Order: sequence, then structure tokens, then C-alpha cells
Amino acid sequence: MTEPPVSVPPASEDATRRAALVALFIGIAAIAAGYATAFSAGKTPAWAAWLLALGIPVALAAIMILGAARGRRGIGPLKIPFAFVALVLVIGFGAALALPATEGPLSTLWLGLPARAAIVIYGVGLLPIVVLPIAYALTFETQTLSAEDVERVRVLARENQAAIENGTREPMDNQRRG
Amino acid sequence: MIQTASVSALLQVALPNAARPAVVAVGILYFAVVLGISVWAARRTRTARDFFVAGKGIGLVALTVASVSVSVSGFAFIGGPGFIYAVGLGAMYIVLPAAVTNVMGAWVLAKRMRLLGEARALITIPDAIGARYRSRAAQGLSAVAILVGIVGYMATNALAMGVVINSIFGVGLGWGIWIGMGVTLAYSASGGILAGIYNDVFQGTLMAVASVLVFLFVLNFGGGLGEISRTILAHEPTFLGPWGKLTPLAALSFFFVFSMGSLGQPQAVHKYYMLRDPLQLKWYPLLKTLGLVLVLLLYFSVGVGVKAFVLSGRLAPLASPDQATPALLLNVTPIILAALVFSGVAAATMSAANSFINIGAAVVTHDLPVAFGRRVTNELRWGRTVTVLIAIAAAITAQRSGTMVAFLGIFGWGLFASTLVPALAVGLNWQGATRAGAMASIATGLIVTLGLETAAYWKAFTFPAGVTASAVAMVSSFLVFFIVSWLTRRTAPTQIDPDVRLVMEI
Repeated sequence: MTEPPVSVPPASEDATRRAALVALFIGIAAIAAGYATAFSAGKTPAWAAWLLALGIPVALAAIMILGAARGRRGIGPLKIPFAFVALVLVIGFGAALALPATEGPLSTLWLGLPARAAIVIYGVGLLPIVVLPIAYALTFETQTLSAEDVERVRVLARENQAAIENGTREPMDNQRRG
Repeated sequence: MIQTASVSALLQVALPNAARPAVVAVGILYFAVVLGISVWAARRTRTARDFFVAGKGIGLVALTVASVSVSVSGFAFIGGPGFIYAVGLGAMYIVLPAAVTNVMGAWVLAKRMRLLGEARALITIPDAIGARYRSRAAQGLSAVAILVGIVGYMATNALAMGVVINSIFGVGLGWGIWIGMGVTLAYSASGGILAGIYNDVFQGTLMAVASVLVFLFVLNFGGGLGEISRTILAHEPTFLGPWGKLTPLAALSFFFVFSMGSLGQPQAVHKYYMLRDPLQLKWYPLLKTLGLVLVLLLYFSVGVGVKAFVLSGRLAPLASPDQATPALLLNVTPIILAALVFSGVAAATMSAANSFINIGAAVVTHDLPVAFGRRVTNELRWGRTVTVLIAIAAAITAQRSGTMVAFLGIFGWGLFASTLVPALAVGLNWQGATRAGAMASIATGLIVTLGLETAAYWKAFTFPAGVTASAVAMVSSFLVFFIVSWLTRRTAPTQIDPDVRLVMEI
């Protein structure tokens, strides 16, 4: 016997996820606009790169927030590392675009690289490593996954399996439509 | 992460003959260890679940090292440094996303994929898409997308293996392809993903050791990064500009495709199913990011270092940028270090090939039959059979025209990204996403990627500077996903089973 298709009322997306979805859409739309200008006749305008420089950090931060948000709890303390990383990316890309090209034999070196390169390599490439994985680990039990969460899934899986073995429902594969 | 350019990396490289006694000896030792691990793993592979997702799971450290190994192809060792040598620091935008991709994948996908494995015993990525949208058609369509991407990757990896093995042993390209694919096939078919994982652990360790040693050697030989930079700045200051010789749009495009696109790479995402204990995910992003940084040290140091050595006259000018790594190894570094790196390159290509063979076999024997409402009776036996067929087909394709193989390999990363990221990564985190949105997005990714790449390859169309087919396809796929899901939003609530909903809400 097959259970009727599940008809749970739509879980209203919580505010954090809704905001993240909107931000993701805006970020992707900005990137799309940047590419669209490149297809326009004539030389690609300089602000096309700015659209990507802003759209990429927004899109990346948004999708991370979408993944990390937990119901009404939202993203809790993770808002700080997410904001930090989005800011680092915007500042890094922005500095690379905005600062004048002064690289030359007499350039001051920062940890072995000229200023703009150092901002990109150490800022964009290394700073997030110091922050994000650590934030993920430190908030793992409260924000990502606890032993109780895993047990809830396992209990439901056992119930489903028992129902299938008792013949009170079909395996999920057989219920799929479309 | 940087599988994509293995084409340009190893297809266009005529690697020099490196067949010195030390290189051959290390190469033989490398293959002996690979075969030893394979025999061990074959004895532990008894079911389809063992074959495709390593049975009861893999421990944290092993899975992390394996994941690093499959995330990096020979491009990190040969093509990547060559790319930096050619265009300067703009080439770094391919690898800079590594700072965020692993932890982003952990937040967006790892927990939900691993819990779906717990709830439904899922074993493939199309499985997850099918379960999320209650749709065999979505599962089938994503399986077709993955299969198309794998065709390209397999052919290019087979050819890459041939190039490397020919360089190490001097056996000729044709034999190199068959030897490389034969060894990979031996462990893929006998031990499945278990053999793949433990070989990846060995191969990833080898790659990391080789990369760190080369990094230290280059810094020492060049008198430190500051001295290397001074030499370059005196001759070619734009090389060390933040975009190198690329346009800002091109460099940022790389960053976008290789950051967001990482969420759709099956060889990495598939690994989330395999972690023995879901709670071990806690340290996975940190360990994997650190591992990737170690492996990518060579990418940066050789590209920048060789540029300085050539500009200062310490190394003869290169015949082509892709000769940066071989020229350094065979002319400057101790031969044992060269031997380690050449084996590391072989390891990278074999590791990638194994992973793709396994995923391709799962698509053919599991996902496509499920899409048609059927089940293969003996998935293990058929998995092994299809593994053999895929490997042979890849080796035969690789023997054919290099131009055609290059074309096949170009679109792999972009195709996976544009077809899978919205439907899988966003879909598993947004209950408003719909089956129609997912299928429209996957179809858009397939059509736009293949259409634009084909048009560009046959010169029917030229992209504006800085724009790539992968980026355009991924953006299009995202927009279609959002728009169609919004238009069909009334259907969303009926398309999520209670267990999947629980996984999405946790």
C-alpha cells in the first residue's frame, strides 16, 4: 500500500533564509549584468568588473548563510565570520580595482609581494582560511549538527524502513513522480 | 577544484623525457604501492555499497586527504605553474577560492548529503536530486549531465596519464595511456571506491610532500619571495599586479566559476556520503583547506619562481609556459625531488580518473535504471563491468585526435557547475525550489555549456574578453532555477518527503 503524496503545508522560509535567497539572487543578477555589458558593442566598461567584485562576495556569503541558517535561530554567532569574509573579499577585489598600478622595482613589498598583490593573495586567499573553518568547527554542535540531530534522522529512517518491511508503505523510489 | 584545465595542462604539454634511473625507480615504487593497496581493498569490497560509497564509511583523516587528492589534477603541478608563468598572478584566481570552497561546501552540502545518506542510504548525487524533488526525471537528467561531463574528463585524464607515464618511463604515449588506465582500472574495478580512497590517501600525501619540498626549494634557490619579486618587478611589473596580464573581468570570472562551481563537482561532493560518522564533519573543512594549501604551494612557487629564474638568466628561456615545472625539476632541483613530483603528477591524474570512473559506473548502473523505474539486480557485478567499459572507452578515445579530446575536456568543470549547483546546492537548502525549476536549470546548464563551448571551439563565436562559457552557463542556470521555481512555487510543498524535509530543516 502506498501512502498518499505528502502534503505538508509550505514551511514559511524563515527571515534569514529568505534574506539569503534574495541576496543570492541579487549577487547572481549583478554578475549576469557584468557579463551582459561585456557582450555589448564596444569596449567593456570598467564598472563591469565592479559588478563581479561586489556580486561574487554577496553570492558566496549568501549561499553560505543559506546553508548555515537553522530555522528561527538563523545563523547566530556566524554572522560575524560571514560578514568578515564578505568584507575581506569586497575590500580585496575593490582595492585591486581601485588602487593605482604602482608596481615597479622600487615598490615596497608586503611579505614579499607588492601591495596590491599582497592584498589579494594574503587577504582574499589566506584570511578566510583563518576565520571560516575555525568558525565552522567552533559552532558545529550548536549551529550545524548535534548528536540529537543525527539521532532524529536515524529514528525516522528506522520508522520508514519498518513501514516498508511491514508493507504499509512502498520504498521511496517507487513513490517518485515526474 | 582545478580539474578543469587538465586539458590545456597535460594535453598541450609535450613533457620532456624524464626517464632517469631515480625517476623510474620512484615511479615503479609508486605503482607497486598503488597495486598493493588495490589488492587489500579488493578483499574488502563485497557489496555495491562497498563499491560505490565505501560501505560503512571512511574515517575523517583518510577522507580528507582523499578529497584533497581528487580535487587537484595534474593541472596543479604542470599546467597551473605554466599558466602563472604566462599570465602572472591573474592565474591565482583559479586557486584562491580554495580559501572558502571547502567550508562553503560543508555548510551548504556536507551535512545534508551525509544525513540523506543516513535517511535513505543514498549513494550518488543524482540520488540526492531525485530524493529532494521526488522525481525520477530530475535524477535521470542530472545523471545524464554527469555522464556527459565524465566522458570529457575521462578522455583527458587518460591522455594526461599517457603523457606523464611516457615522460617517466619513456614507453611512448600509446603505451603510457594503456599502462596508466590499466593500473587505474585494476584498482577501480577490483576495489571500487575503497581502493580509490586509500590510493587517494597515498597519492594525496605524495602530492603534498612533493609540493611542500618544491616550495621550500624554490624559496631557498631564489633567495626568498622578496628577492624573487624584486627580480620580476625589475623586468615585468605587470606580472605581479593583482590581475597579472589578465583583465579584471577574466580574473574575477575564474574566481566565480571556481568558487561557486565547486559546489557542483561530483568527485568532491560524492565524498560527503562516505564519512563514517556525520559528527566528524566538524573538522573536515579545516583539514581539507590546509591540505589543499599544501598541495597548491607548488602551483604558486614554481610559476613565480621560474619566471624570476628565467628573467635573471639562471634558467634558459622556456619553449612554452607549460615547461615551467619540468624545466625546474630537470635542470635545477635534485633528481629525487623531480622523481617525487613526476610520481605526484601521475598520482593526481590517476586519482581523478578513478573517481570519475566510479561515479560514471554508478550513473550507468544505478541512476539511469532508477530514472526508468528499474533496478539492476546485481549492482556490484554490473558496477565492475561498467567500470571496465568506461576505462577502455576512455583509453581508446584518448588515442584518437588530440583536438577532439581537448574539446571533450574543456567543459567538464563548467558543465558540472552549471547543471548541479542550483538544483543540488540551493535546492537542498530552499524548500521553495521546485522540480520544474531544478529540471529547467539542469537542462539550461547542459544546453548553454555545450552550445557555447561547441560554438567557441569551432570558432563560430568569440567570447568577449574575460567571459567564459562556464560562467555564462552557471549564471543562466541560476537565473532559470530561481525564475521557474518562483513561477511553479505552488507545487513546492508536495515535492518534499518528510524525511528529506527533516534533513533540510536540521
